Amino acid sequence: MKTILEKVRGGSDGTLVIGNHPAIVQSILDFDYLCGKEKPSVVGIIAGTRKSQKFFFGRTEVLIPCYKRVDAVPTERRLAVQWMLCAQSGRRTFESTVAFFDAFPEALGGHLFAENVPERHATELIKRFAGKYLIAGPSGVGIFVSGALKLGAIGGTDAAQIEAGQLATRGSVAVVSTSGGMTNELIRAVSGAGKRVSFSISIGGDRFPVTSLGEVLALAEADTDTKAILYFGELGGADEYEIVELLKQKKLTKPVLAYIAGIIDEAFDEHVQFGHAKALVAHRDESARAKREALRGAGAIAPDTFPAFLEELQRLPLPEIRDTVIDITPCMDRRPSILSTREVVDLDAVPVFVKGGKLVKQKDNNFAVAALGALLGRTVSDITAAFVENVFELLVDHGGQVSGAVNTMITARAGKDMVSSLSAGLLTIGPRFGGAVNEAARAWHEGARSDKAAADFVEERTRAGHLLSGIGHRKYRVGIPDPRVAALSEFATTLKKHPHYDFARAVEEVTTGKNGNLILNVDGVMAALLLDILKEKEKMTDDELSELIDAEFFNALFIIPRSVGFIAHFLEQKKNDEGLFRLPDELLFEHKRGKK
Amino acid sequence: MARVKLSEYKAKQLILGDAYKGIQLHSGEQMVVPKGQWVAKVDQGVKKRMKQGLVAVNKPAAELARAIQGWEKKGFSQFVLEPFLAHEASEEQYLSLERVREGVRVLHAREGGIDIEEHPEKVATYIIADIKDVASVAKQTGLPESFFASILEAFEKYFFSFLEINPLVVKDGVHLLDAAVLVDSAGEFFIRGAWTEDDIVSAQSSHPAEAEVEALAATTPASLKLKVLNPDGALFLLLSGGGGSIVIADEAELRGAGKALANYGEYSGGPTREETYLYAKEIVALCLASTAKRKALVIAGGVANFTDVKRTFLGIIDALSDAAPALRKQRIKVFVRRGGPNEKEGLALMHSFLEKEQLLGSVSGSESVITKAISEAIDYTQ
Repeated sequence: MKTILEKVRGGSDGTLVIGNHPAIVQSILDFDYLCGKEKPSVVGIIAGTRKSQKFFFGRTEVLIPCYKRVDAVPTERRLAVQWMLCAQSGRRTFESTVAFFDAFPEALGGHLFAENVPERHATELIKRFAGKYLIAGPSGVGIFVSGALKLGAIGGTDAAQIEAGQLATRGSVAVVSTSGGMTNELIRAVSGAGKRVSFSISIGGDRFPVTSLGEVLALAEADTDTKAILYFGELGGADEYEIVELLKQKKLTKPVLAYIAGIIDEAFDEHVQFGHAKALVAHRDESARAKREALRGAGAIAPDTFPAFLEELQRLPLPEIRDTVIDITPCMDRRPSILSTREVVDLDAVPVFVKGGKLVKQKDNNFAVAALGALLGRTVSDITAAFVENVFELLVDHGGQVSGAVNTMITARAGKDMVSSLSAGLLTIGPRFGGAVNEAARAWHEGARSDKAAADFVEERTRAGHLLSGIGHRKYRVGIPDPRVAALSEFATTLKKHPHYDFARAVEEVTTGKNGNLILNVDGVMAALLLDILKEKEKMTDDELSELIDAEFFNALFIIPRSVGFIAHFLEQKKNDEGLFRLPDELLFEHKRGKK
Repeated sequence: MARVKLSEYKAKQLILGDAYKGIQLHSGEQMVVPKGQWVAKVDQGVKKRMKQGLVAVNKPAAELARAIQGWEKKGFSQFVLEPFLAHEASEEQYLSLERVREGVRVLHAREGGIDIEEHPEKVATYIIADIKDVASVAKQTGLPESFFASILEAFEKYFFSFLEINPLVVKDGVHLLDAAVLVDSAGEFFIRGAWTEDDIVSAQSSHPAEAEVEALAATTPASLKLKVLNPDGALFLLLSGGGGSIVIADEAELRGAGKALANYGEYSGGPTREETYLYAKEIVALCLASTAKRKALVIAGGVANFTDVKRTFLGIIDALSDAAPALRKQRIKVFVRRGGPNEKEGLALMHSFLEKEQLLGSVSGSESVITKAISEAIDYTQ
């Protein structure tokens, strides 16, 4: 039968995180990525109010699903769960641990991160789970198997530490420690001595670790990768006598190099309670000196000073190492996105409605026909219906970056309903966002009715400080035409006359003479051609067109399809539910108030 | 944190409920000894009270009051009065319960008394792994099963870690003459005020800086600890990590400088800049107040797993900046060794700050041994 460490090295790394500790979760994903795993080991997070949380896997962002309770993990993901990382407070650790192993009886083990788990809870956990699972803690920093599993903060939380400790490389020294900080210190000491770690368990500084020191050492003894054991212990408690017993009974035959801290206790008149709960000498045999001597007596190497301990580490046999070379640059200088959504439409796919002066799509514009019928109170021609259908398709969405979509998403993340979120998006539509079609229609209509030359029209507008709606694009310019404008312009070939379109193009002629980016844009061409189509195909008079412009009819061409896009972004937020949005500080410039 | 001692008054109240007739007395409040036969005791977790003369048995009210006044002069302030129970020494037994990995370990001796520790051969050991073991253990000790069940219930319900009754007198029922209880401080949340921090006794009066740090620690999930050992010491420790801090303090002891340590303490678990600032401020103040001639501040720790070196160092720098001129005037030097997240940035900040303020002893990172800073600080102060 495979040992638990062999299972882990074979890929049993799926972890369910209980509680919220993003820095540790990110460090696990960094470790996974740097070890060359194809996907993160974190299967999900149990965290109250959201449905997913964003992390980096290398440079790519991934959404890790969140669930309210352990038993809410969906069936298809349950199979992947082998480990629990409980990052909750000491108050809730007992309850959560029991719930986890109830829901995942086949799991391999876990780590309880909290300090301050009551002793009574710890002994109850021992009664239920000791011997069945590998459980590090309460307290400490978790379990680490080089190249395979990082369950907790163990080994560090930034990529540079994963590199410095050579954590991706399978090694031969097992590191076992009661202290979380010293676990990492020892891992680094091992790599500094030119050796690599096989696995490491931080059993925690509490009085009652669930998996005992003896059990951990038995694991090291049975592990074929492990050639030597490095142990850090402290004054207080009698756990080290488990090592003594194992050594005496020859159940532990691999070299044990131990440092027992706490000689300083001898400097005081009475025993001092040190940092960890267990670190208080209650009986004579719990002193650092007594434990050190007992270990030595049983054949362990237990130096008096830490520098001497490091020298002994150097002397341990050095097996050949082939380092898994890792490049941490993908884990450096990353900037997380602040919103996530999906691609609603393919912005590169330009629908073609007219080719060679003929309609390509003649039927099936039923919704456009119905919509125009409702809006204008008449049955429209095929050309009109096809044009509006084309516009609808183009305007469904323009990415999650635009103002209206952002407002929709932020409102959705504040926990609001669909109508509120959609309204927040729609309420953004106006002079600067989405409202340009109507303004362009007004300009072309006025321009085409007057006798003014396009150049004078432009001059007049710019002199008065007005923007030219329907003109200008950030990316497209003369020489790089906007494919959507080109496709829509084909509609001109279906008309006998197109004065608005001609005027718009004349204006473009003038503006591009000043700046190549000041081309006729989608809003502009839509407005111009729709005016021409309504005039020729629907026989509308100039006064009727004026009335429609004043009523902002042309904005309907934007509002109707974009409502679909906003709702798509809304649904995506509800699906991922990353919780309330807050703008990161560095993205907000704050003008400080003057102080008295 | 960890196991802490309850007052005897509270302990017995929890075990016996309304059947307990003890009265708690505090200095500064009106103390009235009612009529009857009483025993008065200092109730501040002091061991071997009888031998130290901190118990007065069955004396007239005026004499008990005088005894209490005498104890107050010795610095004690919390006392308990209990009804006197006449009994023979032969009726005294010893009983203790302690939470261990396997359950609750029971030690019992049919002969109790204050000298029990000298006679371990008289003590029998039992383990109660499960509630159904109570009957058999009770039978073997000869104590009533109902009594056993009730103390075990209190033991579990109130998150006791240790209970010692010595002597226990069996005479028309079971009487707890002296009782000491250690509770698990982590259980406080679950016992809904059955005992509170006010019921915790400590024999020593704590240093004001310790009290400040304790108050601060109560408001953060991070760990902040401070113990003042020698206010006029030369070596002041601003250490991080429960284990690393002991390794560093050990080095002082091993080099014969244990008595020069002014304090022991540690911060860990990722405190914020502000929390680190408030913690560091206490230690800087202690350092400035010491009368030692050559003093050093040691900022050291292992290679942190998740405590951000830069963030915590910014907090320490804030505290050092406040006191920089005074530190400089006393020729105090700062020695640093630390590793962990954002190590490079944190160490660089610290180095340039110490250099600018002329406080620089040395600054080193995870490439050097954990004991480097303390070692150099000892060299500087000796």
